[in-house]
Amino acid sequence: MSSVGCNEFVAQMGSWMEGEREPAAQAHLAHCEACRSLAADIDAIQSAAPTLSVADPEPPARVWAALRAQLVQEGLIREALPPPKGERQPWLAALFTQLPRPALAGACLALLIAVGFGIRGPVSQWTSRAPAFPLSAQLDTAEQTTVSSFAGSNSAVSASLHQNLEIVDHYIALCEKSVRDEPQNDAAREYLYDAYQQKADLIDMITERGDSIQ
Amino acid sequence: MPEAEAIRLAQQGDAAAFERLYRLHSRRVYSLCLRMVSNVSEAEDLTQEAFLQLFRKIATFRGESAFSTWLHRLAVNVVLMKLRKKSGNETSLEQVTEPDDESGGPRRDFGGPDLRLAGSIDRVNLQRAVEQLPPGYKTVFILHDVQGYEHNEIAEIMGCSIGNSKSQLHKARVRLRELLHEAIRAKAREERKAAGTASGSSGED
Repeated sequence: MSSVGCNEFVAQMGSWMEGEREPAAQAHLAHCEACRSLAADIDAIQSAAPTLSVADPEPPARVWAALRAQLVQEGLIREALPPPKGERQPWLAALFTQLPRPALAGACLALLIAVGFGIRGPVSQWTSRAPAFPLSAQLDTAEQTTVSSFAGSNSAVSASLHQNLEIVDHYIALCEKSVRDEPQNDAAREYLYDAYQQKADLIDMITERGDSIQ
Repeated sequence: MPEAEAIRLAQQGDAAAFERLYRLHSRRVYSLCLRMVSNVSEAEDLTQEAFLQLFRKIATFRGESAFSTWLHRLAVNVVLMKLRKKSGNETSLEQVTEPDDESGGPRRDFGGPDLRLAGSIDRVNLQRAVEQLPPGYKTVFILHDVQGYEHNEIAEIMGCSIGNSKSQLHKARVRLRELLHEAIRAKAREERKAAGTASGSSGED
């Protein structure tokens, strides 16, 4: 049986850790304390590694909200089919199942108020939609406050902020049109509340980012 | 909805199918991004970007590779591109390792019998050590040892050979070992210093 040196053993460590234990390598390990220590340590690292993923979180709901808005903007997804009852997004399902409609609207507003927005009147920049949706107007007002709070900050950030808000606003406008066209359609109303929730999430996210940027 | 059905419907633009695919894979992609950049906001942006690229290209997916492998390849590319932009270098994956690890010969600082890692590795110090790895090592280590991908899958995800994946993983583990040893030694020094300070203080009383 030919023996191996430390360099050869280290070069074969990958195979060794995968269970390929050549007799020559085993013989080397039997009398080399340094390589034994190396193998034991690598084994300990390999064993500990999976624990890193044990507490991995789900991405926050705003990631999907922003992604979906982008997909809508790019025309990559169809809006036609409403999700069946009980298969709504988990983060929205909790709101919809625990709260009646008026309470949901209140929850959205409470979220906005909680993140520190003042209500300072109508917004001219974002009011192309009909005023038949009071929650929409409240969101617009909160949005205006957020936009003004970014005045003078990084222009790239500001441009990105405007772009994302336009995407969500476009989505809301589509949903509001559907509700106007079919006022009795429950699915259309659910989509509209979904869109409002996405905008609330986006404004919340912008506020968090804004705090870290400024 | 099974994954294959969700892929088929997503290729036709079905919103629920997109969401289903996102729900199936977002945790692992977000986890990968989070470990690679160690910053929540950046990880969120990278996760969004990876899925956006996926959904833009989903019509071209023909099932030659596993869907998750394809998605992870996109995610890894997005993350590495971000890291390269941050560092200001247009470097290849081969170059995101440490030069002295490429010299061929093994390092001789294997550690003495008095310093073994077994029993002294916890999630916190291992995570800190992983954060200090060069991006190429880090990616392979996370994919293989943390997320459980096989070398053939990693080779496909990273666009490298299986041998290269194995080599990078080994170097990553050896580098982690050095970093963990350094952390243990630093902790021991701090404890000795603290003990010395405490005994000095008590001696003055």
